[in-house]
Amino acid sequence: MKSPEVVVLGAGGFLGLNTVRAFLDAGLKPRCGRRPRGNVLGLRGLGAPLVVTDFTQPETLREAFRGADVVVHAAAHYPRFSTEPQETIARGLAELEAVLDAAVASKVPRLVFVSSTATVAPRDAAPSNEGDLFAVCPEWGTYHALKWNLEHRLRDEGRLEVVVACPAACLGPFDWKVGTSALLVATARGVPPPHPRGYITTVDARDVGQALVLLATSSAPPERLILANEAFDAHELLVMLAARYGAPPPPRALEAEAARVLADEQEHEAQKTGGRAALARELVDLIVHSPRLDASRSRSLGLTYRPLSDTLDAWDSWALRMGLLQRPRPEKSA
Amino acid sequence: MTDDILTQRIFKMMAQLSVVRVPDIKMEHRLREDLGLDSVCSMELLSMLAEELDLDVPMEEAAQVTTVAGTVEMARRHLALKQAAAAS
Repeated sequence: MKSPEVVVLGAGGFLGLNTVRAFLDAGLKPRCGRRPRGNVLGLRGLGAPLVVTDFTQPETLREAFRGADVVVHAAAHYPRFSTEPQETIARGLAELEAVLDAAVASKVPRLVFVSSTATVAPRDAAPSNEGDLFAVCPEWGTYHALKWNLEHRLRDEGRLEVVVACPAACLGPFDWKVGTSALLVATARGVPPPHPRGYITTVDARDVGQALVLLATSSAPPERLILANEAFDAHELLVMLAARYGAPPPPRALEAEAARVLADEQEHEAQKTGGRAALARELVDLIVHSPRLDASRSRSLGLTYRPLSDTLDAWDSWALRMGLLQRPRPEKSA
Repeated sequence: MTDDILTQRIFKMMAQLSVVRVPDIKMEHRLREDLGLDSVCSMELLSMLAEELDLDVPMEEAAQVTTVAGTVEMARRHLALKQAAAAS
Protein backbone atom coordinates (compact mmCIF):
# COMPACT_ATOMS: atom_id res chain seq x y z
CA MET A 1 0.00 0.00 0.00
CA LYS A 2 1.24 3.48 -0.83
CA SER A 3 2.56 5.50 2.11
CA PRO A 4 0.44 8.55 2.82
CA GLU A 5 1.73 11.97 1.81
CA VAL A 6 1.71 14.08 4.96
CA VAL A 7 2.15 17.81 5.55
CA VAL A 8 2.94 18.95 9.09
CA LEU A 9 2.04 22.58 9.74
CA GLY A 10 4.12 24.18 12.46
CA ALA A 11 6.86 21.63 11.88
CA GLY A 12 9.56 23.84 13.41
CA GLY A 13 7.71 24.31 16.70
CA PHE A 14 7.76 22.24 19.86
CA LEU A 15 5.08 19.72 18.94
CA GLY A 16 5.97 20.00 15.26
CA LEU A 17 9.56 18.90 15.78
CA ASN A 18 8.49 15.95 17.89
CA THR A 19 5.84 15.06 15.31
CA VAL A 20 8.20 15.24 12.33
CA ARG A 21 10.65 13.01 14.18
CA ALA A 22 7.86 10.54 14.96
CA PHE A 23 6.92 10.41 11.27
CA LEU A 24 10.54 9.83 10.30
CA ASP A 25 10.83 7.09 12.92
CA ALA A 26 7.75 5.51 11.36
CA GLY A 27 9.44 5.51 7.97
CA LEU A 28 7.46 8.44 6.57
CA LYS A 29 8.99 11.68 5.33
CA PRO A 30 6.49 14.49 5.86
CA ARG A 31 6.57 17.87 4.16
CA CYS A 32 7.46 20.33 6.88
CA GLY A 33 5.31 23.45 6.74
CA ARG A 34 7.13 26.50 8.01
CA ARG A 35 6.32 30.18 8.19
CA PRO A 36 8.47 32.43 5.99
CA ARG A 37 10.59 33.64 8.89
CA GLY A 38 10.10 30.71 11.23
CA ASN A 39 12.97 29.01 13.01
CA VAL A 40 13.82 25.87 11.05
CA LEU A 41 17.17 25.09 12.66
CA GLY A 42 15.69 21.99 14.26
CA LEU A 43 14.35 20.77 10.91
CA ARG A 44 17.40 21.31 8.74
CA GLY A 45 19.35 18.12 8.57
CA LEU A 46 16.40 15.84 9.34
CA GLY A 47 16.03 15.09 5.67
CA ALA A 48 12.38 16.05 5.37
CA PRO A 49 11.47 18.71 2.78
CA LEU A 50 10.57 22.21 3.98
CA VAL A 51 7.65 24.06 2.40
CA VAL A 52 6.55 27.62 3.09
CA THR A 53 3.06 27.75 4.58
CA ASP A 54 2.07 31.34 5.16
CA PHE A 55 -1.44 31.61 6.59
CA THR A 56 -1.80 35.08 5.07
CA GLN A 57 -0.91 33.76 1.61
CA PRO A 58 -3.41 30.99 0.82
CA GLU A 59 -1.64 30.06 -2.41
CA THR A 60 1.35 28.87 -0.36
CA LEU A 61 -0.96 26.54 1.58
CA ARG A 62 -2.60 25.19 -1.57
CA GLU A 63 0.81 24.57 -3.11
CA ALA A 64 2.14 22.87 0.04
CA PHE A 65 -0.96 20.66 0.28
CA ARG A 66 -0.99 19.54 -3.37
CA GLY A 67 -1.14 15.75 -3.55
CA ALA A 68 -1.18 15.35 0.23
CA ASP A 69 -3.35 12.73 1.90
CA VAL A 70 -3.20 14.28 5.36
CA VAL A 71 -2.44 17.69 6.83
CA VAL A 72 -1.38 17.63 10.47
CA HIS A 73 -2.12 21.10 11.83
CA ALA A 74 0.18 21.83 14.76
CA ALA A 75 0.33 25.55 14.04
CA ALA A 76 -2.96 26.88 15.31
CA HIS A 77 -2.71 30.40 16.69
CA TYR A 78 -1.23 30.38 20.16
CA PRO A 79 -1.48 33.74 21.89
CA ARG A 80 1.51 34.84 23.90
CA PHE A 81 -0.75 36.83 26.18
CA SER A 82 -4.38 36.46 27.16
CA THR A 83 -5.13 40.16 27.05
CA GLU A 84 -6.95 40.48 23.71
CA PRO A 85 -9.56 37.73 23.46
CA GLN A 86 -11.57 39.02 20.49
CA GLU A 87 -8.52 39.68 18.33
CA THR A 88 -7.02 36.34 19.34
CA ILE A 89 -10.13 34.36 18.45
CA ALA A 90 -10.61 36.26 15.19
CA ARG A 91 -7.05 35.56 14.10
CA GLY A 92 -7.22 31.92 15.14
CA LEU A 93 -10.45 31.37 13.20
CA ALA A 94 -9.17 33.22 10.12
CA GLU A 95 -6.02 31.13 10.04
CA LEU A 96 -7.98 27.91 10.52
CA GLU A 97 -10.33 28.91 7.71
CA ALA A 98 -7.36 29.49 5.43
CA VAL A 99 -6.03 26.02 6.20
CA LEU A 100 -9.41 24.36 5.67
CA ASP A 101 -10.08 26.17 2.38
CA ALA A 102 -6.63 25.34 1.06
CA ALA A 103 -6.96 21.70 2.11
CA VAL A 104 -10.31 21.44 0.33
CA ALA A 105 -8.97 23.22 -2.76
CA SER A 106 -6.03 20.81 -2.86
CA LYS A 107 -8.36 17.83 -2.32
CA VAL A 108 -6.72 16.75 0.94
CA PRO A 109 -8.97 14.05 2.40
CA ARG A 110 -8.00 14.42 6.08
CA LEU A 111 -7.00 17.12 8.54
CA VAL A 112 -5.52 16.14 11.91
CA PHE A 113 -5.91 19.15 14.16
CA VAL A 114 -3.92 19.64 17.35
CA SER A 115 -6.28 21.14 19.90
CA SER A 116 -5.97 20.97 23.69
CA THR A 117 -7.51 19.40 26.74
CA ALA A 118 -8.70 22.96 27.43
CA THR A 119 -11.72 22.04 25.30
CA VAL A 120 -12.57 19.00 27.41
CA ALA A 121 -15.47 19.74 29.71
CA PRO A 122 -15.41 18.36 33.27
CA ARG A 123 -17.86 15.72 34.45
CA ASP A 124 -19.30 15.69 37.93
CA ALA A 125 -18.47 12.17 39.02
CA ALA A 126 -16.12 10.66 36.50
CA PRO A 127 -13.10 11.55 34.41
CA SER A 128 -13.89 13.32 31.15
CA ASN A 129 -13.52 11.55 27.85
CA GLU A 130 -13.67 12.43 24.18
CA GLY A 131 -17.42 12.98 24.31
CA ASP A 132 -17.03 15.89 26.69
CA LEU A 133 -16.80 19.18 24.84
CA PHE A 134 -18.08 22.39 26.37
CA ALA A 135 -21.55 23.09 24.99
CA VAL A 136 -20.86 26.82 25.05
CA CYS A 137 -17.63 28.76 24.95
CA PRO A 138 -15.86 28.85 28.35
CA GLU A 139 -15.76 32.43 29.50
CA TRP A 140 -12.89 32.36 31.96
CA GLY A 141 -9.97 33.01 29.66
CA THR A 142 -8.67 33.69 26.18
CA TYR A 143 -6.86 30.39 25.72
CA HIS A 144 -9.89 28.24 26.52
CA ALA A 145 -12.13 30.47 24.41
CA LEU A 146 -9.78 30.30 21.44
CA LYS A 147 -9.43 26.54 21.57
CA TRP A 148 -13.18 26.06 21.98
CA ASN A 149 -13.91 28.30 18.99
CA LEU A 150 -11.46 26.42 16.82
CA GLU A 151 -12.88 23.01 17.73
CA HIS A 152 -16.41 24.31 17.44
CA ARG A 153 -15.66 25.50 13.91
CA LEU A 154 -14.17 22.11 13.02
CA ARG A 155 -17.32 20.30 14.15
CA ASP A 156 -19.18 22.11 11.37
CA GLU A 157 -16.66 21.13 8.71
CA GLY A 158 -18.18 18.78 6.18
CA ARG A 159 -15.82 19.09 3.26
CA LEU A 160 -13.05 16.82 4.55
CA GLU A 161 -12.47 14.36 7.38
CA VAL A 162 -11.37 16.12 10.56
CA VAL A 163 -9.61 14.37 13.42
CA VAL A 164 -8.96 16.33 16.61
CA ALA A 165 -6.17 15.52 19.06
CA CYS A 166 -6.44 17.00 22.54
CA PRO A 167 -3.05 16.83 24.25
CA ALA A 168 -2.60 17.73 27.91
CA ALA A 169 0.33 19.89 29.11
CA CYS A 170 3.15 18.88 26.79
CA LEU A 171 6.65 18.48 28.14
CA GLY A 172 9.79 17.17 26.52
CA PRO A 173 12.66 18.13 24.25
CA PHE A 174 12.47 20.88 21.59
CA ASP A 175 10.28 23.30 23.55
CA TRP A 176 12.57 26.05 22.30
CA LYS A 177 10.05 28.82 22.80
CA VAL A 178 9.86 27.67 26.43
CA GLY A 179 6.14 27.11 26.74
CA THR A 180 5.06 24.59 29.34
CA SER A 181 8.69 23.99 30.23
CA ALA A 182 8.84 27.53 31.65
CA LEU A 183 7.80 25.78 34.87
CA LEU A 184 10.91 23.61 34.68
CA VAL A 185 13.25 26.44 33.72
CA ALA A 186 12.03 28.70 36.52
CA THR A 187 12.23 25.95 39.12
CA ALA A 188 15.66 24.77 38.02
CA ARG A 189 16.94 28.34 38.15
CA GLY A 190 15.82 28.66 41.74
CA VAL A 191 12.83 30.90 41.01
CA PRO A 192 9.88 28.57 41.53
CA PRO A 193 6.88 30.10 39.84
CA PRO A 194 3.72 31.38 41.48
CA HIS A 195 0.83 29.06 40.73
CA PRO A 196 -2.81 28.52 41.63
CA ARG A 197 -4.40 25.56 43.35
CA GLY A 198 -5.40 22.92 40.86
CA TYR A 199 -4.11 20.16 38.68
CA ILE A 200 -1.72 19.68 35.80
CA THR A 201 -2.00 16.68 33.54
CA THR A 202 1.17 16.07 31.60
CA VAL A 203 2.02 14.24 28.43
CA ASP A 204 5.35 13.68 26.72
CA ALA A 205 5.55 15.61 23.43
CA ARG A 206 7.21 12.59 21.83
CA ASP A 207 4.15 10.51 22.70
CA VAL A 208 1.95 13.20 21.18
CA GLY A 209 4.05 12.96 18.02
CA GLN A 210 3.49 9.22 17.87
CA ALA A 211 -0.22 9.70 18.44
CA LEU A 212 -0.42 12.19 15.56
CA VAL A 213 1.31 9.67 13.29
CA LEU A 214 -1.33 7.13 14.27
CA LEU A 215 -4.16 9.58 13.63
CA ALA A 216 -2.67 10.53 10.28
CA THR A 217 -2.12 7.00 9.07
CA SER A 218 -5.00 5.03 10.59
CA SER A 219 -7.69 3.93 8.17
CA ALA A 220 -10.40 4.69 10.72
CA PRO A 221 -9.17 7.15 13.34
CA PRO A 222 -11.45 8.43 16.09
CA GLU A 223 -12.92 11.89 15.55
CA ARG A 224 -11.43 13.18 18.78
CA LEU A 225 -8.70 11.77 21.00
CA ILE A 226 -7.47 12.85 24.42
CA LEU A 227 -3.71 12.48 24.86
CA ALA A 228 -2.90 12.59 28.55
CA ASN A 229 -0.74 10.74 30.99
CA GLU A 230 -0.23 11.59 34.65
CA ALA A 231 -2.25 14.13 36.62
CA PHE A 232 -0.56 16.02 39.44
CA ASP A 233 -1.59 18.49 42.05
CA ALA A 234 0.16 21.58 40.66
CA HIS A 235 1.85 22.45 43.94
CA GLU A 236 3.01 18.90 44.58
CA LEU A 237 4.42 18.73 41.08
CA LEU A 238 6.44 21.90 41.71
CA VAL A 239 7.65 20.52 45.05
CA MET A 240 8.83 17.40 43.24
CA LEU A 241 10.55 19.48 40.55
CA ALA A 242 12.25 21.67 43.15
CA ALA A 243 13.64 18.54 44.80
CA ARG A 244 14.74 17.21 41.43
CA TYR A 245 16.72 20.35 40.60
CA GLY A 246 17.97 21.03 44.12
CA ALA A 247 16.01 24.29 44.12
CA PRO A 248 14.09 26.11 46.86
CA PRO A 249 10.54 24.86 47.41
CA PRO A 250 7.75 26.69 45.58
CA PRO A 251 5.65 29.38 47.22
CA ARG A 252 2.24 28.38 48.55
CA ALA A 253 -0.44 27.84 45.95
CA LEU A 254 -2.62 30.87 45.29
CA GLU A 255 -6.39 30.92 45.32
CA ALA A 256 -7.78 31.08 41.81
CA GLU A 257 -8.83 34.73 41.86
CA ALA A 258 -5.53 35.90 43.33
CA ALA A 259 -3.67 33.94 40.66
CA ARG A 260 -5.80 35.45 37.90
CA VAL A 261 -5.16 38.98 39.17
CA LEU A 262 -1.43 38.35 39.46
CA ALA A 263 -1.22 36.78 36.00
CA ASP A 264 -3.15 39.63 34.40
CA GLU A 265 -0.87 42.18 36.06
CA GLN A 266 2.22 40.30 34.94
CA GLU A 267 1.00 39.94 31.37
CA HIS A 268 0.24 43.67 31.09
CA GLU A 269 3.70 44.46 32.45
CA ALA A 270 5.35 41.93 30.14
CA GLN A 271 3.61 43.47 27.14
CA LYS A 272 5.09 46.85 28.07
CA THR A 273 8.60 45.56 28.60
CA GLY A 274 8.70 42.84 25.94
CA GLY A 275 9.47 40.27 28.63
CA ARG A 276 7.62 37.21 29.88
CA ALA A 277 5.07 36.89 32.62
CA ALA A 278 6.29 34.67 35.47
CA LEU A 279 2.70 33.47 35.69
CA ALA A 280 0.77 33.30 32.42
CA ARG A 281 -3.00 33.71 32.57
CA GLU A 282 -3.37 30.73 30.24
CA LEU A 283 -1.55 28.54 32.75
CA VAL A 284 -3.71 29.76 35.61
CA ASP A 285 -6.87 28.92 33.68
CA LEU A 286 -5.53 25.53 32.65
CA ILE A 287 -4.60 24.59 36.21
CA VAL A 288 -7.74 25.95 37.87
CA HIS A 289 -10.10 24.42 35.32
CA SER A 290 -8.23 21.18 34.67
CA PRO A 291 -10.72 18.31 34.43
CA ARG A 292 -9.84 14.77 35.35
CA LEU A 293 -9.11 13.03 32.07
CA ASP A 294 -9.83 9.56 30.81
CA ALA A 295 -7.27 8.74 28.12
CA SER A 296 -8.24 5.08 27.89
CA ARG A 297 -9.32 5.42 24.27
CA SER A 298 -5.81 6.41 23.24
CA ARG A 299 -4.40 3.42 25.13
CA SER A 300 -6.92 1.13 23.46
CA LEU A 301 -5.48 2.28 20.13
CA GLY A 302 -2.07 1.02 21.21
CA LEU A 303 -0.59 4.33 22.32
CA THR A 304 1.66 4.25 25.35
CA TYR A 305 2.85 7.06 27.58
CA ARG A 306 6.31 7.51 29.00
CA PRO A 307 6.47 8.18 32.74
CA LEU A 308 7.18 11.78 33.72
CA SER A 309 10.66 10.82 34.92
CA ASP A 310 11.60 9.77 31.37
CA THR A 311 10.15 12.98 29.99
CA LEU A 312 12.12 15.08 32.46
CA ASP A 313 15.35 13.18 31.76
CA ALA A 314 14.95 13.87 28.05
CA TRP A 315 14.10 17.51 28.69
CA ASP A 316 17.08 17.94 31.03
CA SER A 317 19.47 16.56 28.45
CA TRP A 318 18.11 18.85 25.72
CA ALA A 319 17.84 21.88 28.01
CA LEU A 320 21.46 21.53 29.10
CA ARG A 321 22.55 21.61 25.47
CA MET A 322 20.31 24.63 24.85
CA GLY A 323 21.70 26.49 27.85
CA LEU A 324 18.28 26.58 29.52
CA LEU A 325 19.72 24.55 32.39
CA GLN A 326 23.05 25.74 33.70
CA ARG A 327 24.15 22.51 35.34
CA PRO A 328 23.07 18.88 35.54
CA ARG A 329 20.61 18.18 38.32
CA PRO A 330 22.04 16.89 41.58
CA GLU A 331 22.83 13.18 41.52
CA LYS A 332 20.66 12.18 44.47
CA SER A 333 17.64 14.39 43.88
CA ALA A 334 14.19 13.08 43.05
CA MET B 1 32.88 35.95 0.78
CA THR B 2 34.88 38.63 2.57
CA ASP B 3 34.35 39.38 6.23
CA ASP B 4 32.90 42.80 5.36
CA ILE B 5 30.35 41.37 2.96
CA LEU B 6 29.38 38.67 5.44
CA THR B 7 29.01 41.21 8.23
CA GLN B 8 26.87 43.50 6.08
CA ARG B 9 24.58 40.63 5.08
CA ILE B 10 24.13 39.71 8.71
CA PHE B 11 23.45 43.32 9.69
CA LYS B 12 20.77 43.56 6.99
CA MET B 13 19.06 40.45 8.35
CA MET B 14 19.22 41.87 11.85
CA ALA B 15 17.67 45.12 10.68
CA GLN B 16 14.76 43.18 9.15
CA LEU B 17 13.85 41.81 12.57
CA SER B 18 14.91 44.72 14.75
CA VAL B 19 13.94 48.38 14.99
CA VAL B 20 17.63 49.27 14.77
CA ARG B 21 18.81 50.34 11.30
CA VAL B 22 21.87 48.82 9.64
CA PRO B 23 24.17 51.86 10.13
CA ASP B 24 23.42 51.83 13.86
CA ILE B 25 24.21 48.14 14.47
CA LYS B 26 27.51 47.58 16.30
CA MET B 27 29.46 44.37 16.76
CA GLU B 28 29.28 44.77 20.53
CA HIS B 29 25.47 45.00 20.55
CA ARG B 30 23.52 42.38 22.43
CA LEU B 31 20.66 40.80 20.51
CA ARG B 32 18.10 41.22 23.27
CA GLU B 33 19.08 44.35 25.13
CA ASP B 34 20.35 46.45 22.20
CA LEU B 35 18.52 45.11 19.17
CA GLY B 36 15.31 44.21 21.00
CA LEU B 37 15.28 40.63 19.75
CA ASP B 38 13.76 38.26 22.26
CA SER B 39 14.87 34.63 22.34
CA VAL B 40 12.35 33.58 19.69
CA CYS B 41 13.37 36.42 17.34
CA SER B 42 17.03 35.61 17.92
CA MET B 43 16.45 32.01 16.88
CA GLU B 44 14.54 33.19 13.83
CA LEU B 45 17.44 35.44 12.92
CA LEU B 46 19.96 32.62 13.22
CA SER B 47 17.66 30.33 11.25
CA MET B 48 17.41 32.95 8.46
CA LEU B 49 21.17 33.20 8.48
CA ALA B 50 21.61 29.43 8.27
CA GLU B 51 19.18 29.25 5.36
CA GLU B 52 20.62 32.19 3.47
CA LEU B 53 24.19 30.90 3.76
CA ASP B 54 23.16 27.23 3.61
CA LEU B 55 24.82 26.41 6.92
CA ASP B 56 24.02 23.51 9.21
CA VAL B 57 23.79 25.23 12.57
CA PRO B 58 22.47 23.07 15.41
CA MET B 59 19.69 24.75 17.37
CA GLU B 60 21.63 24.08 20.57
CA GLU B 61 24.57 26.08 19.26
CA ALA B 62 22.37 28.92 17.99
CA ALA B 63 20.75 29.17 21.41
CA GLN B 64 24.10 30.16 22.95
CA VAL B 65 24.53 33.19 20.66
CA THR B 66 23.60 36.42 22.40
CA THR B 67 25.51 39.18 20.58
CA VAL B 68 26.07 40.58 17.11
CA ALA B 69 29.73 39.57 17.30
CA GLY B 70 28.73 36.07 18.34
CA THR B 71 26.39 35.84 15.36
CA VAL B 72 29.11 36.89 12.93
CA GLU B 73 31.59 34.53 14.56
CA MET B 74 29.15 31.63 14.33
CA ALA B 75 28.56 32.33 10.64
CA ARG B 76 32.31 32.58 9.97
CA ARG B 77 32.97 29.30 11.75
CA HIS B 78 30.28 27.40 9.87
CA LEU B 79 31.27 28.90 6.53
CA ALA B 80 34.83 27.72 7.18
CA LEU B 81 33.54 24.25 8.08
CA LYS B 82 31.46 24.19 4.92
CA GLN B 83 34.41 25.24 2.78
CA ALA B 84 36.64 22.64 4.44
CA ALA B 85 34.05 19.93 3.82
CA ALA B 86 33.70 20.97 0.18
CA ALA B 87 37.49 20.90 -0.29
CA SER B 88 37.95 17.43 1.21
